[in-house]
Amino acid sequence: MDILGNLAHGFSVALSFSNLLFALIGALIGTAIGVLPGIGPVATISLLLPITFGQPATTAIIMLAGIYYGAQYGGSTTAILLNLPGEISSVVTTLEGYKMARNGRAGAALATSALSSFFAGTVATVVVAGSGPLLTSVALSFGPADYFSLMLLGLIISAVLAQGSVIKSIGMVVFGVALGLVGTDVQTGQQRFTFGIPELSDGISFVALAMGMFGIAEIVLNLEKPEARSVLKTEVGSLWLTREEFRRATPSTLRGTLVGTVLGILPGGGAALSSFGSYMMERKVSKHRNLFGTGAIEGVAGPEAANNAAAQTSFIPLLTLGIPANAVMALMVGALIIQGIQPGPRMVEAQPDLFWGLIASMWIGNVMLLVINLPMIGMWVKLLQVPYKFLYPAILVFCCIGAYSVNNNVFDVYSTVLFAVFGYMCNKLKLEPAPMLIGFVLGPMMEEHLRRAMLLSRGDVMVFLERPISASMLAIGAIALIAMLLPNLRKGKEAALSG
Amino acid sequence: MLPRRAWLAGGAVFAALPSIACAQASAWPTQPIRLVVPFAPGGTTDLAARLVSQGLGMRLGQPVIVENRPGAGATLASAQVAQAAPDGLTLLVSNIASHGVAPSLYRNLRYDPVRDFTHIALLLETPSVFVAQPRFPARGIADVVRLSRDMPRGIDIASSGTGSSNHLLIVQFGQVTGARVNHVPYRGAGPAMTDVIADVVPMMSDSLPSSAGHLRAGAVRGMAIASTARHPAFPELPSFREQGVDLVASSWFGLSAPAGLPPAITGRLSREVAAVLADAALQHRFAELGGTVGALSPPAYAEFIAGEVARWAPVVQASGAQVE
Repeated sequence: MDILGNLAHGFSVALSFSNLLFALIGALIGTAIGVLPGIGPVATISLLLPITFGQPATTAIIMLAGIYYGAQYGGSTTAILLNLPGEISSVVTTLEGYKMARNGRAGAALATSALSSFFAGTVATVVVAGSGPLLTSVALSFGPADYFSLMLLGLIISAVLAQGSVIKSIGMVVFGVALGLVGTDVQTGQQRFTFGIPELSDGISFVALAMGMFGIAEIVLNLEKPEARSVLKTEVGSLWLTREEFRRATPSTLRGTLVGTVLGILPGGGAALSSFGSYMMERKVSKHRNLFGTGAIEGVAGPEAANNAAAQTSFIPLLTLGIPANAVMALMVGALIIQGIQPGPRMVEAQPDLFWGLIASMWIGNVMLLVINLPMIGMWVKLLQVPYKFLYPAILVFCCIGAYSVNNNVFDVYSTVLFAVFGYMCNKLKLEPAPMLIGFVLGPMMEEHLRRAMLLSRGDVMVFLERPISASMLAIGAIALIAMLLPNLRKGKEAALSG
Repeated sequence: MLPRRAWLAGGAVFAALPSIACAQASAWPTQPIRLVVPFAPGGTTDLAARLVSQGLGMRLGQPVIVENRPGAGATLASAQVAQAAPDGLTLLVSNIASHGVAPSLYRNLRYDPVRDFTHIALLLETPSVFVAQPRFPARGIADVVRLSRDMPRGIDIASSGTGSSNHLLIVQFGQVTGARVNHVPYRGAGPAMTDVIADVVPMMSDSLPSSAGHLRAGAVRGMAIASTARHPAFPELPSFREQGVDLVASSWFGLSAPAGLPPAITGRLSREVAAVLADAALQHRFAELGGTVGALSPPAYAEFIAGEVARWAPVVQASGAQVE
C-alpha cells in the first residue's frame, strides 16, 4: 500500500539524528511547561519561534509538535496532582484524577493518563496518515447550523457532569454561558458586559477562570482544613496500575479514543468537546458508573485518551486545508510560513518530507513522552510529600506567571484572584465548577454558529431541521433530555442521576 | 526620567540638557528594547515583527524582544504604549486596526493615533483580495455585482471580523459598485476561509497573506486584488481597477514609539529599519507573506496614518459598526 511506503519515508525522515533530538527536546520542554500550571504551549512556542527560523522546516515543526504533545501530557499531571487544569481538556481530568490522587492512587491515575494517551495517540496517528484527506471532506460538510446543534447537544448532556443537584448544574452551565458572552459581539462588534474595561473586550481569560475556580480555590480549601492537607501526605500506594484497574481502564480508553478521533477532526471546536464528551459517555456506559465522583479510573482513562486523540486529529484541518484549529496550530502555521511553506492541500505533494515526517514524528513523540513520563511518575507523586507550606506558595507563584503569560497582561492575574474567591464560594454552596467551564467554552461558540446560521438562512429557523447532521444532533439531544426527565418525573431525581 | 548620568552632571543639568540628549542618543540603546505586537503570536503582523526585530536587534547591538499583547482590536496595547516613556526602549507595531480604523470605530479611544505617537517607519503592506468558492458562478467583479442585485438580501461575503479592514472593504465595495452585500463576520480569517472552502459562504474579503496558500492550491478562486497593479506572485489575479471598480486598500504595519521620542533616536531607528528592510532575504520573506516592504520616512508615515484615519471614517460610519 502507498500509505505504508509513505509512512516508511516519514520514519526515515523523523528518525534522522537531528530530528529525533529535536523531537526529544520538544517533548521535554513541553512536559516541563505542561507541569508548570498555566504556562501553556502558546507562550512557549512564541518564545521559541525565532529559534526555528534557522532550522530546517521539518525539524522546526517536529520540535514544535513535540512541545504541543508534551504540554498535553504535562497538563494532566497538574490536573491530577493539584487540581490545576491548564486547559479545557484537563478540567475533566481533575474530576476523577484528583479524587484518585486523594485516595492514594495518584501513581495509578498518572500511569493511566500516560498509557491511554499513548494508545489514543497511536490510533489517531494512523487515522491521520491513512485518511486525512477523506476526513477533511467530512469536516467540511459541517455548516454553522450543524455546529450549533452539536454544541447544543454538548450542553444538554453536560448537565450529566454534575455530581450533585441537576438544577444547580444547569444553573452553573447557564452562568458559564453568560460569562462566556462577556466581550466583543462577533456580529455587531459591540462590547457586551465589559463595563468599559478594555481588558474585557476579548472576553474573560479561560486560564484565569480555570485556575482560579479549580486550583487556587482548592488551595484555600486545603489551608482551611489542616486534615485535608495531611491527606496529601498519606500513603501514596502502589505507583503502578493493579490488574483490576487495568481491566477497567481498557474499554474506557477504547471508547475515548473513538470519541476524540472523531471530534478532533471538526475545526469549529470539536476538540474542546472531546474530553468531556468522553467523560459523559463513561458516566453513562461504564460498568462502574456508580463510582464516578469518588475517583473512578474510567473517568481518567476515557477523557485522557479522547483528549490526546483529538490533539492528533486536529492536525488534519491544518495539514489538509492549511487552517489552524487552535492558537498552537496558528503558531505552527506561522513557523511554516516563515520557512516559505504554505500549509494547505498541496503540502502533501509539495513537501512530502515535511508531511510524512511530521506524521511519523507524532508517533515517535508519543513514544518519547511515554518513556519520559512513566519513570517520572514516582517523582511527581513525591511532589505531594513536599510540606504544603512550601508547595502552595510555589503553586500560587506559577499560577500568577501562567495567568500573566497568556496575554502578557496583569489584568488576567487579578481575574484569577477574583475567580478563586468565586470558586471557594461555589464549593461552600456545593456548586460544581465543571459545568460552568463547559458553558463558558461552548456558549460563545454556540451563539456564534447560531447567529451565523440565521444570518445565512435569512432568519429561517427551519435550517436547523432541514440539514441532516443538524437534525440528527437535535434528535439525540431531545432523546437525552427526555431520558433524563422521564425517570425524574416517575421515580424522582436520584434514579435519574444513578441511571 | 533622566538617566542617572544626567544627575551626576550636577548643577549644569538644565543648561546641558540638549547635549545630554545627544549623548543619550549616541549611547542608546543601553538596554534591551521591547517591541509590543498588539496581536496574538502567529499572525502576519507577529511574523513580520519578529523578522524585523531580529535584524534590528543585530544592528542596534541590543536584543529587540517581541511582546504580544493582544486585546480590544489592537487598541489595548496601543493605549499602553502611548503612555509609556519615550526613551526608545518601548516600541509598538502600529497597524491599520489600531491606527487606521479604531479612531472611527471606538467612541472612547484612549489615544490619538497621530499626536500620541512618534511614528518611525512603515514596515509592510499587504493588499486586500476578494476570493470566492471555485464553484461560485461569478467570473469577475461585474458578475458579482449583477448576481447580488438578483438576490433578495444580497450576496454573502465573509470577513475576519466586524470592524476589520476586510469588513470595511466589503462596505466600500457596496458603496462604490452598488452591489447588495450581506456581511458575514467570523472570529479571524481562518474560520472564514474554512467556510468559503466548505461552500457555506460563497465569497470572502481577506488580506493576501492569509489567502495566498489557498489561492495557490486552487482551494479558492481570486476575484480581484485591491492594489494599483497586479501582484507579482499572482499575475493572473486582476485588480479591482482593471475591472472598472476604483478600490485600492491594503493592510499595513509600521513601527511607532510614544510621542516625544528624541529626534536623534527617531533618526537612528528610521535609518536602521531602512537598512533591515533593504535586506534581500527579508524582502523575500515579506514577499512570501504576500506583502511588500514599506518605505516611508517618519514624517511621511505619520502623514500616511492621518490619511488612513480620514479615509476610513466615512466607511466605518456607513458600516454601522461603532463601539461604545
